[in-house]
Amino acid sequence: MNAIEVTRLSKTYPGGVEAVKGIDFEVAAGEVFGLLGPNGAGKSTTVGMLTTTIAPTAGSARLAGFDVAEDPLAARRVSSVVFQEPVVDRSLTGRRNLEIHARLWGVVPREAQARIDELAASLGLTELVERPAGTYSGGERRRLEIARALVSHPSVLFLDEPTVGLDPRIRAELLETIAGLRSRAEMTVLLTTHYLDEAERLCDRVAIIHAGRIVALDTPAALLAQLGRELVELRVDGDVTGVLVTLRDRGVAGADAFAVGSRLTVPLHEHISGEAIAAIHQLGLAGAISARRPTLDDVYLRLTGDSLAAAA
Amino acid sequence: MSTAEIAIPAPRARPQALGPLATLARRRFQLTARTPRELFVPLLTPIMFALVIAPALKTALHTDASYESFVAIGTVGLLIPLNTMFSGLGVIVDRVSGAQRELLTAPIPRGLLLLGNLSVAVAITALQVGVLIAVAVARGIHFHVTGTGILWFVSAAALFTVGMYGTAEILANRVPRQEEYIARVPAIAILPWFLAGALFPITALPAFLTSVAKFLPLTHGLALMRYGLRGDGTGLHAIWGLSDPAAMAALSLGVIAGFALLLTLGSIRVFSRSAAR
Repeated sequence: MNAIEVTRLSKTYPGGVEAVKGIDFEVAAGEVFGLLGPNGAGKSTTVGMLTTTIAPTAGSARLAGFDVAEDPLAARRVSSVVFQEPVVDRSLTGRRNLEIHARLWGVVPREAQARIDELAASLGLTELVERPAGTYSGGERRRLEIARALVSHPSVLFLDEPTVGLDPRIRAELLETIAGLRSRAEMTVLLTTHYLDEAERLCDRVAIIHAGRIVALDTPAALLAQLGRELVELRVDGDVTGVLVTLRDRGVAGADAFAVGSRLTVPLHEHISGEAIAAIHQLGLAGAISARRPTLDDVYLRLTGDSLAAAA
Repeated sequence: MSTAEIAIPAPRARPQALGPLATLARRRFQLTARTPRELFVPLLTPIMFALVIAPALKTALHTDASYESFVAIGTVGLLIPLNTMFSGLGVIVDRVSGAQRELLTAPIPRGLLLLGNLSVAVAITALQVGVLIAVAVARGIHFHVTGTGILWFVSAAALFTVGMYGTAEILANRVPRQEEYIARVPAIAILPWFLAGALFPITALPAFLTSVAKFLPLTHGLALMRYGLRGDGTGLHAIWGLSDPAAMAALSLGVIAGFALLLTLGSIRVFSRSAAR
């Protein structure tokens, strides 16, 4: 049984905004799955529907076999969420925040205390847990929220943009923490992000979501392999389309070469970059040219005509 | 990626409703206790009315001493709306900067969140009404206390509190910001108080406003509370015009109970709809 099953899931908000347009995906138990896309792509709306805080307008979704619309209490019982924004009771202590979650998710009190102590230790919260959550730094609060989500032993954990708004050092620490969650093999993680490095580092598979639709879904390695081992990027003054056609005619570029604005990107499957650059120079087509390894941003750019980093 | 099929743990047994409700009520109480303004501010105005303005009016208007107990109970009709509306502010804080979103993903019926808040609002209101009455007694104001009378008083005050808290929840879930909420409080909590016979009998109002007052739940609540603590059925008579005070009290209790039921169900519906967009 898959831990998450999403079938033609759609959400149209009052006023006609189509945030999610019939997406399908499945996540196996124990998998770390990423929803990658810029702000407004539909990631948080998808998480909202899966966590039953947003009502789908069409389609269905199941968590551990429980339909989120028809059996929402059961779906909520097997899942936990770490939200994009801070969602804690600031005037209560960290421990009390964790206890409330444990009680509402039905964890036996004695077990809950042991679990809280264990999580506080493993997430570096032992010294903080008796302090009001409002006194925590951004990274500490986010670790508290992760601990809270884990108190109830969820089968499915949702991490909605968990590192947004954190400074680089705290973000790096938190990524370590999230990477550590992979060792909890019984838990399935759905992570939304617009950071490419997060998706590449943390996720077994990634769905790239754009304007409410999934435009690609595979492992990060397979998505990157679509663009070959290397790619050549050139800036073109003038007719970009004409240059693209010429490169294809000369066999330098394949069908997957693409242009966005004045930038032309040529994935290299058969050539090595030195050969391609030499051929382009011989044709006298480019103003500036460089070669590098492909990134998920290139995948996103090819699929949507938009840069993920810029759109985020 | 792990390709092995991993068994998903069976969900634990559904928690009993009372456990989560107690957890939610305790949470709300702890949050309220850390916000002293919610406890003390609603008390200030009613106590001032009971202890300062009522004796001053008694002297200025040359009325008898029973006017003080009349106004003391009238101020309960101000205390309850003010306190419940202040409690409603906590709902907005919870939504904007608290843990409401986390609670919405909990495996419990969402109506329990509201009932947890309601139970704390009722408890705090009971405490405040007790303080108000105790201060009034300490000031020398006399009440006509009987067992049955206390029952009428408590029933009226409790049901009116429930209804007013429902009003506060509905408002809190329909306005996005605290500023907009606070701007509406005078119209809901204070305006009806002037029309409901808090400081003078509703028969002293112009005929049109007397008719309006008879439809206000607060008018029924105050008449019933005075019947309970002063043994005075004139407020009930001004509403119903019957000769049997007990029958009129039962009718007014029914009105307040209907008000409480309607607003509680309405608030659960509004909250549930706003919780799942």
